[in-house]
Amino acid sequence: MKWLDRMVEGSARSLAKRTSRRSVVGYLGALLVGATAAPLLPVARGATPAPASKPDDKKKKVDDPTSCDYWRHCAIDGYLCGCCGGTQDTCPPGTTMSAVTWVGTCHNPLDGKDYVISYNDCCGKSTCGRCMCNRNERDTPLYIPFQSNDYNWCSGNGKTNVPYHCSTARIVSVAK
Amino acid sequence: MSKVGMPLVLLGCLFAASASAADAPNVVTLPQPTPPHYIWVNDFVFPHMVSGKAMLVDGDAGRFVGELDTGFGSMRVVPSLDGKIIYSPETYFSRGTRGERTDVISLYDPAHLSFIGEIQIPPKRSSNLPMMANAQLTDDGRFLLVYNFNPGQSITVVDTQTRKFVGEIEASGCALIYPTGNRSFFSICADGALLNTVIDDTGKVKSSVRTDDPVFDVEHDPVTEKAVRVGDTWYFVSFSGMIYPIKDGSKLQPTWSLLSAEEQAAKWRPGGLQQLAVHTGMNRLYSIMHQGDLDTHKDPGREVWVYDLAKRTRVQKISMQHDSGSIQVSRDAHPLMFSIFIDSNVLDIYDATSGKFLRSVTDIGTTPTVLVSP
Repeated sequence: MKWLDRMVEGSARSLAKRTSRRSVVGYLGALLVGATAAPLLPVARGATPAPASKPDDKKKKVDDPTSCDYWRHCAIDGYLCGCCGGTQDTCPPGTTMSAVTWVGTCHNPLDGKDYVISYNDCCGKSTCGRCMCNRNERDTPLYIPFQSNDYNWCSGNGKTNVPYHCSTARIVSVAK
Repeated sequence: MSKVGMPLVLLGCLFAASASAADAPNVVTLPQPTPPHYIWVNDFVFPHMVSGKAMLVDGDAGRFVGELDTGFGSMRVVPSLDGKIIYSPETYFSRGTRGERTDVISLYDPAHLSFIGEIQIPPKRSSNLPMMANAQLTDDGRFLLVYNFNPGQSITVVDTQTRKFVGEIEASGCALIYPTGNRSFFSICADGALLNTVIDDTGKVKSSVRTDDPVFDVEHDPVTEKAVRVGDTWYFVSFSGMIYPIKDGSKLQPTWSLLSAEEQAAKWRPGGLQQLAVHTGMNRLYSIMHQGDLDTHKDPGREVWVYDLAKRTRVQKISMQHDSGSIQVSRDAHPLMFSIFIDSNVLDIYDATSGKFLRSVTDIGTTPTVLVSP
């Protein structure tokens, strides 16, 4: 099945580019796939709704990377790496960042700007199990993969390091 | 026999002699065919993903019947059409979470829930939040189709008659599996077009045709991938509650809304992981409903709304005991409706005709996903 393997990257790119409204974000996702050999990555996990926040504590939580309300987590789905020995942009020790990623666009209320966020999964160990968070702003169904938070993007690692451990939320750029 | 062994034999005889009043060692055998009011609760055990399982529950008795252990990133069991075997797409690593990955279709005996064999498939089965469309049988049950994502997209084809992997079908840019006949199915592409694939009697591709234009409006109101089927029609629902019937794999029938204008204004919308169910005999559609913004399309609901598919009108509202994220309706003439939520492990059981709540079964797994009728 080498014909399939060879076309993986190409299909991922062309697919992302065909996704209309989200195509800008998708295109960035495709670029990430090609531009980084290092870890970036997304997820597959539960549909647990984000814990409801009280209006009066919302402000402080949007700046807390271990909170589901953290501004970068607007489309995350999984365990927060900041609660698992890593941070919002680094993987916990002994894990591997996936070679493929999906992206979202989140508004940072602290500076009023929108950012493209890459939800890199950290892979190769059993699920962390801490700080589960699922938010679905602009999340799409599985048939639009690069904006879908329902995949285990550790799957892009090949035959090893496929188990999902936790999710990061890395800033890619300021959204145009 | 050693001197040590002799006393053990005597001890065994003593136990045997007094065994008439004791329970004989035994293992339960299940009724066959599996009763229609049994339900498979699939669980990908998110906190411990290498330990997926599928649990069988008797909906009439409210009793946990047994389970299958289904490996990493467990998707869902696929009972054969004749009910004589259970197929389960599974992934394993040689050292727990490490080592070589092996993907298989495990075969289980439904009478004993015992492993009876496996078919090795390419190690690229998609790992995602489980959907029914991840694995499907063709209409005659001959071929088992499994969606792959790594992130290349393809479909694995397994011949259930020869119990062999027969090939992999390219599905670049398109996802999941919606059967339309004995040798045909479609997938949804990222731009909303549909890819119709026809296979021959050996499981090889005969034709692969993509619709010229998008069928779904992925830009303004995408449909979820959680469709249900009645006869030759698959029913998809959009984030905003519009029903998109797809006949014969490509023909979009007139769309209609689950919601009145007032209900839309009140932000009612469908949601959940397995948010739709149907009963073919009654021609009824069941949809989990909640109130929320557009981005709550995966949220559970406290109501299930029931529709007459012929009239496209709502005929009933069912108030749920707990948050509902997944529903299924049994296929028999006196159907039950089952409900569970991934963030809970209480299975609620209702009369699917009257909507009356019947019973709950507690402690069903960890993160239950899709419900599958036997």
